[in-house]
Amino acid sequence: MSIFILIASLIGGVLLSAQSSVNGAFSSKAGTLESAFLTFITGGLMLFIVVLFFGTGNFLSFLEAPKWQLAAVWFGVGYLFLTILAVPKIGIIATNLSAIIGQLSMGMLIDHFGWFGGMQIPLDLKRLLALGLMLIALRLIYQANSKEREQRIKVS
Amino acid sequence: MKVLFYALALLAGVTLSVEGAIYAVLGESIGKLESSLYNFVVGTIILGVALLFWGKGSLSYTAKAPKWQLTGGLLGIIYLTILVIGIPLIGVGMAMSSVVVGQLVMSMIIEHKGWLGSPRIKVRPEKIIAAILMVTSLFLIY
Repeated sequence: MSIFILIASLIGGVLLSAQSSVNGAFSSKAGTLESAFLTFITGGLMLFIVVLFFGTGNFLSFLEAPKWQLAAVWFGVGYLFLTILAVPKIGIIATNLSAIIGQLSMGMLIDHFGWFGGMQIPLDLKRLLALGLMLIALRLIYQANSKEREQRIKVS
Repeated sequence: MKVLFYALALLAGVTLSVEGAIYAVLGESIGKLESSLYNFVVGTIILGVALLFWGKGSLSYTAKAPKWQLTGGLLGIIYLTILVIGIPLIGVGMAMSSVVVGQLVMSMIIEHKGWLGSPRIKVRPEKIIAAILMVTSLFLIY
């Protein structure tokens, strides 16, 4: 069962990467906030239709949900604002890779302590080793991207 | 000074995991699709207000843009809904790890092939080693 969820999450990442290229192309002409707004409004409109016909929950009950759960929307929007601040100062590559380190470490910490009422999965040796491999991989990607940039500067 | 901006970028990543973890909880009570819908509706409102005050670009480009540039929202809703369904079953750590692996490997392919308007950059051997390390790390935590 969980192998399907793992593959689905991999596909989620693939879509996210495609989204960042698509939005990158759009935002170079229209602007960053404009691009984010378009993503949210078109996503909301499409999802509204899907929920109308296939929703099994109760959308309006979000009004009764605890405020800390509703606050999740600020984290998604917060990501956007933080990256908008960081990219001009340290570059898009360093921003993305730093964000990934934060994302992975926080994910493991949330599991370890069972924060936000989710399941508890201890941060064992295997998970630490996995995190270490990820860090090495990110370092390699950073080096490769820096070399690519140097080459492009030399060419131009 | 630069350290501050690295810290902000790190924090940006932290918000992604927190977002996923909380929406997973919200999804258990109001429904998975409904939880995603909440994010996109309220996110639209917040960004709409932000746009009013800080918008510097031109939203009117939407009408002229090639249609494929308008698919970001569709990709976003599928991504978030997968997370809302998946996180309660495999946890935040594994969900985020597989998202990151999918994302980084796909970026390499997009660049290598020059898809979606990206400049074509041949994939370097370091990146292939990185991809192998990342997949190994997924096997470790699976």
